[in-house]
Amino acid sequence: MIELSNVHKQFEDNEVLKGIDTVFETGKTNLIIGQSGSGKTVLLKCIVGLMEPTSGDILYDGRSLAAMGKNERTQLRSELGMLFQGSALFDSLTVQENVLFPLRMFSEMSDSDKKKRARYCLDRVGLEGAYLKFPSEISGGMQKRAAIARAIALNPKYLFCDEPNSGLDPLTSIKIDELITDITEEFQMTTIINTHDMNSVVSMGEKVIFIYEGEMGWEGTKDEIFTATDQHLREFVFASKFFQKSLELQTK
Amino acid sequence: MNLLEHVGKYSLLMYRTFSVPQRWKLFFKQLWREIEKLGADSLFITLIVSIFMGAIMAMQTQNNIENPLLPRYTVGLVTRDTLLMEFCSTIICLLLAGKVGSNIASEIGSMRITEQIDAMEIMGVNSANFIILPKIVGFILFVPILVVFSMFSGILGGYLLSVATNMISPATYVYGIQYWFIPWYVYYSIIKSVVFAFVITSVSSYYGYYSYGGSLDVGRSSTNAVVNSSLIILLLDVLLTKLLI
Repeated sequence: MIELSNVHKQFEDNEVLKGIDTVFETGKTNLIIGQSGSGKTVLLKCIVGLMEPTSGDILYDGRSLAAMGKNERTQLRSELGMLFQGSALFDSLTVQENVLFPLRMFSEMSDSDKKKRARYCLDRVGLEGAYLKFPSEISGGMQKRAAIARAIALNPKYLFCDEPNSGLDPLTSIKIDELITDITEEFQMTTIINTHDMNSVVSMGEKVIFIYEGEMGWEGTKDEIFTATDQHLREFVFASKFFQKSLELQTK
Repeated sequence: MNLLEHVGKYSLLMYRTFSVPQRWKLFFKQLWREIEKLGADSLFITLIVSIFMGAIMAMQTQNNIENPLLPRYTVGLVTRDTLLMEFCSTIICLLLAGKVGSNIASEIGSMRITEQIDAMEIMGVNSANFIILPKIVGFILFVPILVVFSMFSGILGGYLLSVATNMISPATYVYGIQYWFIPWYVYYSIIKSVVFAFVITSVSSYYGYYSYGGSLDVGRSSTNAVVNSSLIILLLDVLLTKLLI
């Protein structure tokens, strides 16, 4: 479980996060939604420790991130897995070497066990035939899968995904969403996904928080989102003409 | 950003870079890769430039000796000493600032903008240490080889000129390059080049590591890396010449 307590982040005169309070539960897919520039990515970077909040605290199963020393942070980092918007696979390494990277850095397993673990993770995300390919030789969807395999290689307790569907077609997006949901349940992780893809919200938002101009606009579940009265949320959710049309047809 | 801010950020980056590698096995693997990429791959350009510069230096010296009292072997002597004292360390390192410096800045800059560095940090890897340290150590280890190679190639260039033309006889040139040889000049050149190698790799890494934005910004970082490391090399050249000669 990850708790956010009054998290603020300011860049010079620009206050990007204005006091975020929420709880992300274990074994669930938690979604952060909001318009571009609303502060989603900054919030995610604060949660994972890539940025320091100006004030407020983030608690990982009761452990305060702000109060952690260097060693505790290093320990915590080994419990985190992250899927970046652009996959962030290492160009100079093959897909298998990318998954082996965290294992080589932090695991005490034998070389053969590390290789077995890497192949298990790659098989789990459906990349059986791509072990020896370089990231530039595989499609965007396969790159996301490889990045998920790398993120779960060390059996993390917390998984973070920044725009996992950006640049993917709708079918591939659904597959990636299903994969993240399955993995979250299977490994009992606390998963936080940063997205503005409403398909993802509808398919996997067990808990959704809506950020509007750096503030907590709304929080609830994927089902509650359609009956929410918050004006900004409604504008965001029903911005898609396709979505509006689908809902109209369903209600008819 | 002012100069002090750059110095502060650079110092902090170097502090993070010079820590004990988390995995020695991976460090040595990276080190070997960097020696090959930054060092061995620079041998050809060093060879070509040094041979031509050696030949040109010999030709210019020959053409500009007008005093009949000056012996002809002065051509070999001047060529050798110019190569040893300045060309093989300073000029070759300025050339490498362009080749190696831009390579490092653009590689690390691309890793930054594609979030590969963030991915390492999330995993708990000291990205500065993992990426930058092998580059600095690898290039510092290989640069003396490049300098000595450049010395031989430059002197060979002058010799080839003497063989190919009748400007000076090969025997006189060979006598000149052996005349009043001061071994310290070789060490002096190597010491300078090691300092310059550190400047090239660390300054270029600094500009790459703090790149942000898109490919245009990476290009800008690469240009800044080359320009600034060249300026620092020239500044340090004055300082080291004063200290070591």
